[in-house]
Amino acid sequence: MTSTTALFISREDLIHLLEELSGTLEVVAPVLVGDEAAFATWRGEALALDDKNPLASPVEFFLPKKEVLFRYVQYSGRYTFSEDPPKARLIFGMRPCDLLALKVIDGIFGADLSDLPYAGRRRSTIIVALNCTSPGEGCFCRSMGSGPVAEGGYDLLLTDLGRGYLVEAGSPAGVYILRAHHRHFEEADIEDIKEKERLLALAGEKMIKRGPFPNPEKIREAIDGADWEEAGRRCLACGGCSFVCPVCHCFSVLDQGVPDGERLRCRDSCILSGFSRMTSGANPRPDPGERLRHWYLDKFVYIPEKTGLFGCVGCGRCSRVCLGEADRWSFFREATE
Amino acid sequence: MEKIATICVYCGCGCGLVLHVEDGRVVGASPSPAHPVSRGRLCVKGWLAADFVHHPDRLKTPLVRRGERMARVSWDEALSLSARRLREIREESGPDSLAILTSAKGTNEENYLLAKLARAALGTNNVDHVARLCHAPSVAGLGIALGSGAMTNPIRSLLSSDAILVTGSNTTEQHPLVAATILEAQARGATLIVADPRRTQMAELADIHLAPRLGTDVAWTNGMLNLIIGRGLIDEDFINERTEGFSALKELALRYTPAAVERITGIPPGDLEKAAAAFGEAPRAGVVYAMGTTQHSSGTDNVLALANLVLATGNVGRDGTGIYPLRGHQNVQGACDMGALPIFYSGYQKVEDPAARRKMEAAWGTDLPATPGLTAVEMMEAAEEGRIRGMIISGENPMISYPDRGQVIRALRSLDFLAVADIFPTETTALADVVLPVASFAEKDGTFTSTERRIQRVRRAVTPPGEARPEVEVAAELLRRFSVTADYASPEEVMGEISSVTPSYGGVSSRRLGISGLSWPCPSPDHPGTEILHQGSFPIGRARFYVVEQQHLPEDLDYPLFLTTGRSLFHFHTGTMTRRTHLLDRERPKATVDINPADAAALGVRSGTMVVVESATGSLEIEARLTAEVPMGTVYIPFHFAEAPANQLTTRTLDPTSKIPGLKRTPVRIRRADG
Repeated sequence: MTSTTALFISREDLIHLLEELSGTLEVVAPVLVGDEAAFATWRGEALALDDKNPLASPVEFFLPKKEVLFRYVQYSGRYTFSEDPPKARLIFGMRPCDLLALKVIDGIFGADLSDLPYAGRRRSTIIVALNCTSPGEGCFCRSMGSGPVAEGGYDLLLTDLGRGYLVEAGSPAGVYILRAHHRHFEEADIEDIKEKERLLALAGEKMIKRGPFPNPEKIREAIDGADWEEAGRRCLACGGCSFVCPVCHCFSVLDQGVPDGERLRCRDSCILSGFSRMTSGANPRPDPGERLRHWYLDKFVYIPEKTGLFGCVGCGRCSRVCLGEADRWSFFREATE
Repeated sequence: MEKIATICVYCGCGCGLVLHVEDGRVVGASPSPAHPVSRGRLCVKGWLAADFVHHPDRLKTPLVRRGERMARVSWDEALSLSARRLREIREESGPDSLAILTSAKGTNEENYLLAKLARAALGTNNVDHVARLCHAPSVAGLGIALGSGAMTNPIRSLLSSDAILVTGSNTTEQHPLVAATILEAQARGATLIVADPRRTQMAELADIHLAPRLGTDVAWTNGMLNLIIGRGLIDEDFINERTEGFSALKELALRYTPAAVERITGIPPGDLEKAAAAFGEAPRAGVVYAMGTTQHSSGTDNVLALANLVLATGNVGRDGTGIYPLRGHQNVQGACDMGALPIFYSGYQKVEDPAARRKMEAAWGTDLPATPGLTAVEMMEAAEEGRIRGMIISGENPMISYPDRGQVIRALRSLDFLAVADIFPTETTALADVVLPVASFAEKDGTFTSTERRIQRVRRAVTPPGEARPEVEVAAELLRRFSVTADYASPEEVMGEISSVTPSYGGVSSRRLGISGLSWPCPSPDHPGTEILHQGSFPIGRARFYVVEQQHLPEDLDYPLFLTTGRSLFHFHTGTMTRRTHLLDRERPKATVDINPADAAALGVRSGTMVVVESATGSLEIEARLTAEVPMGTVYIPFHFAEAPANQLTTRTLDPTSKIPGLKRTPVRIRRADG
């Protein structure tokens, strides 16, 4: 989906481009934090693009782990409220799996009644995506249809060709950036485009081994037939799978501070028993296994019903963080074989 | 958004954490993928470690008691008042009428300066901290048996084990990252043996579960030795070359036959045989233990019995072997290392050793007291008796965490002066004359030392709220008010002083501490640190076997049940942080007493029934929860909850060597609250 002619940018020019952009926007990019890539505000440090996709998804810039919905101040018995406007941001280096996650969340937070804080951040954020030429060990984006090639949802799309990046625009904002900062770009030649296709085909082939595109019926059967009691016995209740998943979006709202304070929206997790426990103390999902089953059902049955897209994008992060050492994807690979 | 790599504030695992900071506020936490322990994973408390930092309850200004009210004052006033009151008491009653409790939640630098404050400024060795209630028996027991009280091997070493004995450790809840490592080892083929009276998740997942009666650890450990010796599974070369005292141990073990052990512990001989065979036959075996082993009036004996087991089988000094006392707080190892103990300077240099004392006197430019100080629980007794009159408590909440709460209240109320430094108001700050607001882990620089002796950097991610300050600054201010030089521009400079006087930290500097930190001993700047202890020799030359007998456990017909206490996965210690983390508090919003269904039926109690639990020292009303996780005759209460403080019931029966109270076994009786 190349909407304009492809351009080429060298590694040095990319830094110059980001420097210029960071004059007007907060530029977020993968940088090294504790020896590993993490998305953070870029202040000119080396970009950590060669590393695997950061463990904390950049989706947190749209759905923060914790956000202040508004502040309340009581004065003479009357309340006044204030809220912060969304930040103008550019997220650089977002991978195709996280892009698809955002599309799924659009189908939830953007549908029917649009969620205002989410929509505000979505509108004020420019996305510069990066095609995945070297997928991580546990990734299975190809099976979930999210990668390794990004298909829409970005303003600019980069492909690492080694000596520099091939750049394509995917939106008016992207075209604007290419025009406004044209001196950093040069025309890409046909060899560059061939190289991109070769690299991405190679990346795709690497992933073929990692399982077929899941068949919804087979998945439903696999979920119905799984030994959830055993899975629950081994679950250490860290909630990591839900905290790290770029599609997981459940939250709880709490007011902190009396009489003045803040209404906070915080990430929540269906892996925790308190998530489904009712005020009476009754819990429809009392065992860890039942909660794990729900997590899978949400991703592979409920979210698809609502959005038409799977609630899993194949980023493999849940398996990376699982304290019970469960390879979440092997569950389906075995079931669908 | 900034991301700052630091270390988790909760348990001793010492996981690498990345704090997410937006507009000067910590908004989230995620695991550090490159960190050697967390390896990109965290437990639920770790994932939520940032949530309490900006809670509105945070203490923001120094407070001074004016009658029944607490008044806001300046730092200068609060500190000068504290120094003046402490000096007055010292003049009237001598330096040993003062005491300091430091915090295992504080950094090494803070603990070092507070220990220095006690010794160099107040002039007393009355300094201790929560290690007294957790691993004092390890420091004492492993200290005399192996020459070092710390974990012998790094956590990762367990991945190479062929058998792992876990005892007195609810590992999946208390040290989840260690549990994950053990379960990974089990998946690779290691045999997992769990000894625990409760059927914890760890016990549930074990290959062999031994369920001894409370307080009978020495018996079954000696029983395993009996079988290991009988089957010729001891490591004779190791025993001959590297240990002494085995013949006496052999005689002792002979008496602990499987039948005798069954009478004492209730463990069927077949189970004990399976455990002994799995442990004895393993080329590499490790022993992991925690509070279930140490918090007994026979705590040191329990540790010595386990040390005998690893020594007799030659399981020391190699990858995959070793003894692993799991430390409960993220820096309880460091607080011990820094000399926040009444008998040691930093690096376990004895205060009674004239050479060590002269060295510290030269370094600190002052005279130092020669007599050992009081331990934590002894301090409380001395306070009640008026022998201790002034106290500084830094980041501890003895009102919830210490045994016999009734006595703790009397003790703290008896004090003429009490200053408490903390991040939140607690049941202990409520009794203070001066309250000092201090920085949380996310608001200060310094180092923590994890359970595996890994010294790691803690980084300031945000500024402290209001006027709160890092305790390094508070301690330095107080030192200066006692005319002790304390011109530290930064915590790095404090570490400079620590490394100059502490041989095991001799090569440590903040600059050297990368993502993997450094494991002590690290004696010189070019030393790579020591991950596995005792490889060629022991610090005491040869390791020693100690003959330890099972204590006689008297029955008390008035109190027919036994209460054991512990912590939940979702809370930490006295709950000051986790009970202000709403997802965690939601998981466990209230205290319950776990009762076996058979015991409950006899009492006419169902899940949800309010019951009264009574012991010789106190009573409390609490909701019952029926579960087969506890065996008949045993009940369990987590001690986090101020609404139903388990330590209202516990007693101060101390282990004679380490002075740890026997928190894990209190005789109690239970009745319905309405009858």
